[in-house]
Amino acid sequence: MSQWAMVIDLDRCVGCHACAIACRAEWKVPVGEGYRRNWVKRLGPARTPYGMAFTFYPGLCNHCDTPVCTTVCPVDPEKREFKDPKTGKKTAIFIRATYKHPFTGVVLIDKERCIGCGACVEACPYGARYLNEELDEPKADKCTFCFERVTRGEEPACVKTCLARARIFGDLSDPNSEVSRLVKKAKRMVTKEVNLGPNVYWVGQEKDLYLLMQQAPKERTWENV
Amino acid sequence: MKRRDFLKFSGAVCAALASLSLDSKFVKTVSASTMRKDLPGSLGAEEIPSVCDMCFWRCPIVAKVKDGQVVKIEGNPRSPANGTAICARGNAGIQFLYDKDRLKYPLKRAGARGEGKWVRISWDEALDEIAYNIKKVKEKYGPHALAFFDHGSSAAFFREIFEALGTENFSNEPAFFQCVGPNLLAYLYTLGYQAVDPAKVDMAEAKVIILFGSHLGENVQVSLVKSMVEGLAQGAKLIVVDPRFSVAAGKADIWLPIRPGTDLALLLAWINYVIQHDLYDREFVQNHTYGFEKLKKAVQKYSLSWAAEICDLPEEDIRKAIDLLARHRPHVCIHPGRHSAWYGSQDVNRHRAMAILTGLLGTVGVKGGFYFPTEPPLEKVSFLAGEHEEIEPPETSLKDDYPFAELFHGSPTAEIIKATRTGEPYPIKLWGVCGVNVIQTIPNPYQTMEAIKKLDFIFCVDILPTESVLWADIVLPDATYLERYDGFYVGKETRCYVALRQPAVKPLFESRPAYEIAKDLAKRLGLKPRYERVEDWLEAQLKPSGHSLKELKKTGLFTYPAKPYRSREELSFNTDSGKFEFYSEAFADEDLPPLPEPDFAPAPPKGYARLLYGRVPVHTFAKTMNNVWLHFEWPENHLWVNDEVAKRLGLKTGDEVILENQDGYRSERPVKIFVTPGIRPDAVYLPHGFGSRSPMLKTAYGHGVSDTFLVTHYEQDPFMGASSHRNNFVRFIKDGKVLSIPELRPVPKELSRFEIRKRV
Ligand code: SF4
Ligand code: SF4
Ligand code: SF4
Repeated sequence: MSQWAMVIDLDRCVGCHACAIACRAEWKVPVGEGYRRNWVKRLGPARTPYGMAFTFYPGLCNHCDTPVCTTVCPVDPEKREFKDPKTGKKTAIFIRATYKHPFTGVVLIDKERCIGCGACVEACPYGARYLNEELDEPKADKCTFCFERVTRGEEPACVKTCLARARIFGDLSDPNSEVSRLVKKAKRMVTKEVNLGPNVYWVGQEKDLYLLMQQAPKERTWENV
Repeated sequence: MKRRDFLKFSGAVCAALASLSLDSKFVKTVSASTMRKDLPGSLGAEEIPSVCDMCFWRCPIVAKVKDGQVVKIEGNPRSPANGTAICARGNAGIQFLYDKDRLKYPLKRAGARGEGKWVRISWDEALDEIAYNIKKVKEKYGPHALAFFDHGSSAAFFREIFEALGTENFSNEPAFFQCVGPNLLAYLYTLGYQAVDPAKVDMAEAKVIILFGSHLGENVQVSLVKSMVEGLAQGAKLIVVDPRFSVAAGKADIWLPIRPGTDLALLLAWINYVIQHDLYDREFVQNHTYGFEKLKKAVQKYSLSWAAEICDLPEEDIRKAIDLLARHRPHVCIHPGRHSAWYGSQDVNRHRAMAILTGLLGTVGVKGGFYFPTEPPLEKVSFLAGEHEEIEPPETSLKDDYPFAELFHGSPTAEIIKATRTGEPYPIKLWGVCGVNVIQTIPNPYQTMEAIKKLDFIFCVDILPTESVLWADIVLPDATYLERYDGFYVGKETRCYVALRQPAVKPLFESRPAYEIAKDLAKRLGLKPRYERVEDWLEAQLKPSGHSLKELKKTGLFTYPAKPYRSREELSFNTDSGKFEFYSEAFADEDLPPLPEPDFAPAPPKGYARLLYGRVPVHTFAKTMNNVWLHFEWPENHLWVNDEVAKRLGLKTGDEVILENQDGYRSERPVKIFVTPGIRPDAVYLPHGFGSRSPMLKTAYGHGVSDTFLVTHYEQDPFMGASSHRNNFVRFIKDGKVLSIPELRPVPKELSRFEIRKRV
């Protein structure tokens, strides 16, 4: 099975927010408090044990190995058939309204079955989801790694627009991919308290990663959902 | 969000939902090629290549259109400058096009100037009125009573009209007299070519890059940022000279938090050090430069320790920086920066010193250093037909005091405003304004508004109702860059191209492309546009290139061979001496310093911090604050305050203070402060362009604080008359009490102190 992943190179990122706007445009994310599929937070300038740092947290859904967002979804599981976009192979699994795609590892939402309860939004410790209440019927929404674009041979919108080529997207199951090479020295946003096996990685100077890791979740939000 | 009681109804809802799988649906749509536009996101859209105009950099783009609507903008993959990348603003161009607050119809003022009360009128009426007033003012006061303020692509056509009307004030790009002018001039008189706009430095190939106050990364110009990031990824070392810990400083090997206004000390000491320690490029200096011995003599007394004290920097760090630069010559990039109207008298000299260092290190025409532009195979075709008479200068010209103002279009902005306010040396009675928000751009907006009140007539061509538009007698709605053709954009970088701007959609409302507006205005003034159709004008320019407009409409651009580098044998300089000029006879002839001399900005008055300003990466000038997507990313500005200063004053991040400047002007509302070690204690930093005062900009209005309204003091540089922006100082007011800024760094005796004038 594949696992799509992204590595963000903080040495390259200049915090320009192009990725955030490209995503909003591509997926018509409405403007509203907390409405975004990805984001850029500015960290610093601040002192760190490694010197003064000024960096960014360009964040998005981690497409976790063991996502909690999908397990809290209250919609009754139904059987669905999926296709491997690479090989065309098919398989059928039971999914709720949000699920991990069996061939790519991408965490997706079945918009037609989502009931807009917001449980997944509340559960995600990274705040990677939002509830779009601008729709006639509210639906959860989040980063899809631009599944629809990638399966048609396009890059994710954020990757394509990044001025700095700071966002490297690829498939971890391919040992020759740039992401596979980069993840060896990369960091993930995991803490003692929260480790869901995220598939977004960061590389950069120690001081920048230090600031970034302050953003890592410690609260296990899903247990209260 | 509250935990929801969803279990109750989830079963029922689910049962009611269709049971189509996501994947089977997606496979279906792909196979039906006739339904391409029904693909998700921007997939399957019609792609129209064009050129961005969200800032002046003009990156080649592709506008993606579905059902007559622009749904996405991406970079044009054919572009050698930006490729598929565009910045946040470029991506948000859609919300500029569909901004609800856009000017929709020609308008005529119905209230007092500045009130923004208008009635809708027809295009004919509006243009008749403008033409009538232009003729009237010209007849009564002569041509120089007309002045034009401009920025951006649309302005080019109107500029020609004003030039043909015979006024010496036919163009006042804030780009020159408020911004890049002193820098352009310095490099022009040292290297002999326009090396600054855009910065012709090859950062991607550099071994060391040095930035003086340039905040690339926060100031985003895609190809420049790309080339800096590529250079760093290839292992280039970075030195950042900046009182603030900028984004670039975060990536730097050496950060020199210099005392604002003292860069010349650092540069003179470095020049001397390089000469004394024999670190310079002898071959280049001997064969290609003019005035080395004079330079050597002039700088010999400036030591690193002298600079260290004035600049308030560790001597060790400044030695490390210059050693690093010298060691890697000639493949080092001494970035010229862009905005240079900082302090007044020193501005040209400061950039001359930077250019001189460039020459000493021989970093001209080589990889990593300054490259040479390559002219495009285009024919210059003016918008208006026929020869115009040379502009007959007035008895006393607004450029008289500034021997090098002549090089630029128009006259110094500060002189135009003075003349408009006072009628001296001659009256100015009519302003045309296109694409520039004069009130949020030019120092001392109070004087700008006072000047506008004195005018007989003012008209604005713009897209949004900015505060400047509020003052207009007649307002003309321009079409956005996504709705119009413009002149070609030429990228003369290390890889060259010519790009076409073309409409992706039809102009909305009654807006019209600038070409059409200018054409109809020109005719009313007895001038003759060369071509009726803008396409014919463009086609005529393409002639020598062998490319056609038809082809460019499809591809968006063509590339042409560049010759950026020169061997030492090939090097030649288009200066008076034919050499790279350390010493400028031209400056000496005008009694201006032929070599850079020490010239430092005065220290802040006791109790005040220097007000510094800059960009945030998601906004352009004061132009984009009403864009709903960009506003969402960055709705207001925060004031950077040094952590030690904040501690002394008992302030923390998020606290609100009113700013009061040295002239007693206060910020329109409190600003939130951001406490950080990343700024010197003698300065504060306020991102530019916020604090819109136009209630018609419903998204931007009332958010943040305007730096321009606190820049009430300016000094003009003696070369070209540009107005400085950085000799302004603020203190804080909190809960009605004045908070004086403690002076944490000692001020050496070489520096004077800014004297506060009588209060307004
Ligand atoms: S587009 Fe790239 S450089 Fe800009 S903020 Fe996003 S990741 Fe960073
Ligand atoms: S980051 Fe959040 S939304 Fe994304 S898969 Fe993990 S838990 Fe789910
Ligand atoms: S730098 Fe950004 S706003 Fe400026 S032209 Fe390029 S894409 Fe447009």
